[in-house]
Amino acid sequence: MTLTETTQPIRKRDLRIPLAAILLVVALAAPFIGSRYVTHSLIIALIFMLPAHGLNLLVGYTGLLSLAQAAFFGIGAYTAGLLAVTYGTPFYVNLIAAGLVSGALALPLGIPALRLRSTSFVMCTLGFVIIGQAIAKNWVSLTRGDMGLSSIPKPYFSLGPWSYTVSGTTAFYYLALTIGVLGTLAVWAIVRSPAGRNMIAIRENETLAESVGIPTWRYKLIVFMLSAVFAGVGGSVYAHYLTVVSPLTFQMYYSTTMLIIVLGGGAGTISGVVFGSLLFVGLTEALRITPELRMIAYGFCLLILVFWFKKGFAPMINRFWGMIGGAK
Amino acid sequence: MNHLRLLEISNLSKSYGAVKAVDDVSIHINRGEIAGLIGPNGSGKSTFFDCSTGLGKPDTGTVKLDGQDITGWSLNRIAREGRMLRSFQKTVVFKALDIEENLVIAGQMFTFPSLLSTFGLGRMSRQRVAALRERARDLIKMAGLWEVRHLPAGNLSGGQQKLIQFASMLMPEPKIILLDEPMAGINPKIIERVVETIRYANKSLGVSFLVIEHNIDVVTSLCERVVVLDQGKKLVEGLPQDIIQDPRVREAYLGG
Repeated sequence: MTLTETTQPIRKRDLRIPLAAILLVVALAAPFIGSRYVTHSLIIALIFMLPAHGLNLLVGYTGLLSLAQAAFFGIGAYTAGLLAVTYGTPFYVNLIAAGLVSGALALPLGIPALRLRSTSFVMCTLGFVIIGQAIAKNWVSLTRGDMGLSSIPKPYFSLGPWSYTVSGTTAFYYLALTIGVLGTLAVWAIVRSPAGRNMIAIRENETLAESVGIPTWRYKLIVFMLSAVFAGVGGSVYAHYLTVVSPLTFQMYYSTTMLIIVLGGGAGTISGVVFGSLLFVGLTEALRITPELRMIAYGFCLLILVFWFKKGFAPMINRFWGMIGGAK
Repeated sequence: MNHLRLLEISNLSKSYGAVKAVDDVSIHINRGEIAGLIGPNGSGKSTFFDCSTGLGKPDTGTVKLDGQDITGWSLNRIAREGRMLRSFQKTVVFKALDIEENLVIAGQMFTFPSLLSTFGLGRMSRQRVAALRERARDLIKMAGLWEVRHLPAGNLSGGQQKLIQFASMLMPEPKIILLDEPMAGINPKIIERVVETIRYANKSLGVSFLVIEHNIDVVTSLCERVVVLDQGKKLVEGLPQDIIQDPRVREAYLGG
């Protein structure tokens, strides 16, 4: 079969840049368009987008299914919360520390876990969430046990004499949006780098990747740590937004939500994760109108997803993107 | 040390339970040589390959490449640091990726100085990838796959996939390539092309080869020296025309 590129794509007007501009304007104007409740939902979506981005590096690009994201999310939330409550450190210090602590803890956890094969690895990562919750509950002197950490201060920035406290939902929205955009750019940079190509090679065929000199094990460990950094950063924003962190931050429901965002949005695509986090947080919020049927309806939506959108929404987004880009 | 010898595998043994898959086999490959490894099914050829290239760990024996002991190195390290590459019988290409991506991936670890540097997106990194792409395109042309270079590799025929795999192995300027049944299941026209490509790599690029192959015509036309394995042991070694006449080899194949 010799399919050549015989037809040059007929170029219509490229609408991608105008659309991106419109999306940016909508994102910036959102707090003024929607109600406070919508802004709140968008903040939650932006917070969950970060661990989902990290998980996408693992699941979508490297081909490793992990349920540990909630554990690293919780570690990040506790790190930021403890720093803020105990030492009153500024927000960005807490955020960086949360990322670093989560990433660093992923090293000793990843070394044994990544020795395991597929399903055993998944079970092992599931264990991390349970262990995390048990530690948060029982290490009372550090975590205050079931009481959790409360009255975590609103994020504040300080530089010399200048300081600013992010209070109010709108201000927090812009903070979350900034972090979300930076996080998305970071993932973009990782997957566009040669390392991103090696990750895809590992996903496609690990032995073949080995045979062309790719140290697959070390890559998997690094990606596992990177995914934990994203989760930790997300956790720190979460802690500062809710101002409360409890052992319930370590819950399987969060891990599955993150996984649903990635798989539903489209594993191995960045736009899919962005779209997925908006959609799924939007969906859970929308379903609050029927509290009794909420979880049933949620489950039903998931069934629709697996049956009709096997690759998530990414193929649809890509087709749309190609269409407005003028390609045939 | 004999400086003529590029790869020297000595007294290699590997058992699976009570079965001795490879039993005290020694093989060497000289610089610039194309050597063949033949033997009936189950004679231990693939196990021998795996243990020599780091996919499996030999129970005993040593593997020396260019005078350096590489026994126990991992598959990826042998490829990266030793520039000894191997092919697989079944897993051939990254099926979902196009040919050009396949080749760029195959060259990356040889261009970037460290694992961390592969995370870079700077100018150096872009230039390195551009150079790889350039080389990939040359090799794609050489393999006669230019027209299909942007198709997913999995869409191509088995023979074309073998050509892609072969081109991938030439990306890093290897010292030696071990081929595991490169002609299995491909049509005669492509066999011709694979043979030509192997010759070209050997003559023009100075790559040495060890080839496992069942197609006896290919073996006799390509190899300067042939080693025969039978039931995990080295049976004979010699010129291809002598080997095919050897009664012991005939007996091994026809069953004694």
